[in-house]
Amino acid sequence: MSELSSQVTEGFSPLAGVDLVPVLPALRAVIPGGGLRPGTVTGVDGSTTLALTLAAGLGDRWCAVVGLPEAHVPAAAAFGGEDGGLDPMRVLLVDDPDRRWADVVAALTDGCAMVIVRPPEEPPAHVARRLTTLARRNGCALVTTGPWAGAALRLRVEESHWAGVGDGTGHLRGRRALVAVSGRGAAAPGHRVWLWLPGPDGAVAVAEHEGPARLEAVAG
Amino acid sequence: MSLLDSPGSGGEPLDGGYAMPLPGPPGSGGGPLDGGYAISLPGPPGSGGGPVTVPRVLVVWCPDWPVTAVGLDAGTPAAVVVQARVAACSAAARAVGVRRGQRLRDAQRHCPDLVVRDRDPDAEGRLFETVAAAVSTITPWVEVVRPGVCAIPARGAARYHGGADRGTAEESLRIHVQDTVVEHGFDCGVGIADGLFAAELAARTADGGMIVPVGGAADFLAPYPVAVLDRPELADLLPRLGIRTLGAFAALPPRHVAGRFGADEVRAHRLARGLDARPPAPRPPHTDLSVTTEFDPPATAAEQVVFAAKTLAERLHEALAAEGLTCVRIGVEVTDAHGRTQSRLWRHDGTLSALAVAERVRWQLSSWETSPDEEGVGGIAFLRLLPDQLVPDEGRQEALWGQVTLSDRVMRAAARVQAMLGHQAITRPFPAGGRGPGERVVRVPVGDLPPEPGAAEGRWPGRIPDPAPAVVHPDPLPVRVTDADGAPVTVSARCAVSAPPHQIEVDGRVLPVTAWAGPWPARERWWDPVRFRRRARFQVVTADGGARLLVVEGGRWYIEADYA
Repeated sequence: MSELSSQVTEGFSPLAGVDLVPVLPALRAVIPGGGLRPGTVTGVDGSTTLALTLAAGLGDRWCAVVGLPEAHVPAAAAFGGEDGGLDPMRVLLVDDPDRRWADVVAALTDGCAMVIVRPPEEPPAHVARRLTTLARRNGCALVTTGPWAGAALRLRVEESHWAGVGDGTGHLRGRRALVAVSGRGAAAPGHRVWLWLPGPDGAVAVAEHEGPARLEAVAG
Repeated sequence: MSLLDSPGSGGEPLDGGYAMPLPGPPGSGGGPLDGGYAISLPGPPGSGGGPVTVPRVLVVWCPDWPVTAVGLDAGTPAAVVVQARVAACSAAARAVGVRRGQRLRDAQRHCPDLVVRDRDPDAEGRLFETVAAAVSTITPWVEVVRPGVCAIPARGAARYHGGADRGTAEESLRIHVQDTVVEHGFDCGVGIADGLFAAELAARTADGGMIVPVGGAADFLAPYPVAVLDRPELADLLPRLGIRTLGAFAALPPRHVAGRFGADEVRAHRLARGLDARPPAPRPPHTDLSVTTEFDPPATAAEQVVFAAKTLAERLHEALAAEGLTCVRIGVEVTDAHGRTQSRLWRHDGTLSALAVAERVRWQLSSWETSPDEEGVGGIAFLRLLPDQLVPDEGRQEALWGQVTLSDRVMRAAARVQAMLGHQAITRPFPAGGRGPGERVVRVPVGDLPPEPGAAEGRWPGRIPDPAPAVVHPDPLPVRVTDADGAPVTVSARCAVSAPPHQIEVDGRVLPVTAWAGPWPARERWWDPVRFRRRARFQVVTADGGARLLVVEGGRWYIEADYA
């Protein structure tokens, strides 16, 4: 499946020559081209884990998290499997930017390869334009967990199935999540992918077996 | 060894080490206050003693400053803790056996009704500005060694406030300074001696401090244990060699010390002998390394000044580095639109980052804006940073803790956010020890020292197994957990669950539970009556596919974290 989507993107990719902000190889099925184009906005609905996953392939680049005081950055530290993941040492947190969130994001696009932001309200068009322009110039990809009209890509966790917990026994080990990809930047709109988010080994990966049969039996 | 020592040395007021029974300001030693400021300010009256002698220094020492700064008085048995160890305690607590460095549970055993607070270095810096301002009514050359300790050159001030001979002049100055600080509501000890190190110990003697006569520093220091040098490894090593006091250490020939130890130990040895830690550097004449910035129109927001201060400090550090120098102290001069100037000296010792300098400027401004006798500052017109007491830069380890250093670009972005929202607004997550997911991370403002590594590596039985949740609520959300009959699920003291959780109700949404695990008991901070918690955690998967970490405490349920 990941091969297919990369073939599709290469077909019409206007991205040649642009340095993409890298994402984990496991996300190739979700993110066309294996990276996010600087200046684009990716909206993530319903999953902070998924937002942090986008930052887990940054390597030695920096990431900023703005307006999400509840985000627990170390959760993504092992999402890349053997390659590590999001290095908490390379994360800047601005928990409460309040009304100045746009200025804060503007400042952080210079220096960070990714800024994850939850604006307090839908940004007005001129603010959104200013931020994407700055981000494009500085080589930064924006990820938002809030409303954003101009988002190029929207990712949404539609279903989650956790493994490892029984009836008073075990502990959470892994989850398979059905991620729906939409937006004009998507390779194939409406496309859905099962991902381990994360898997039992702590890494994010494409889940082989679709469907929750085994887990439903446990849950019953 | 010298590398390991260096984090504690120097005037970084944010680090530990200043509430020890008898710490020495390492790497310090007063220095030629006479003329040290000659670049910028006229020397204090009567200055300019012999070039070889150690200058007379008066030190104001406020006991247990970390405790005072969090609003507790000496009569309350209280302790300020960092990572479950006592960082400072009040006199009342000390009287019943609480000591610095003690584990909190031991302290609690000595004193069951101990009031415990977390340490607040920022408050320490801000509040101490009140003391520094009080002292500066006597002489403008106040040097803040670190929050809790400040120094002034004694010679000029004593003559000015003076008496017939040096002894009575110094005593009247000492009493005058002490009265001034006490009038402002702070207990303090005041000591005068040759050099900062001896003067601070003199300030800490019983009955509010004493005067060590000229040339008497070595004799005064001799009986003190080597621990007062505040170099833990040296304090560990020397007694094993049979050297227990500063006198015995001072008796070692300097060349042997230099031959066997590093530069830092040589400095410690100089201190023990009653000398300056570093001989002053002969400064090339007529080079003015001070840096100034002008605000036109005058800056009315503190942030603007603080932001400029950081850039200015960078320029200053570059200029110093180009000369192979570093400064022991840094003078910050702020001039308002009406031409009034406030200057303050801060201990630097080559260890302050540009951001740390900017932070001191912020403290200084905060005191100016709030002091009652200054009305309508009218904006800041000039900011000037003056390196004081230049010494050769012996180098220091970058990234001492082996951690990721911030590139200039990231640093600049962070500084811009700090200029907008304040120093605390932008943080970096550092690993910390703890069982719950929220405790496994501490947020440290960019530019502040990271926590000491080590605690995170300890074993934490009862730790929630991986994967870690991506959402940890800063304030846990209340939730109702009920069993199949609709009765609230309870957990007994012995961790027995009354019935399997059947559904949870949060924000009016009812979610059936499809799977659950737990309870995992946790008794946390049982030594602390305020923060003591007996809790049990559960993982719960609900029909919508969500997984949450619940915690039950005192019969109430909360959502602590979300595996969203």
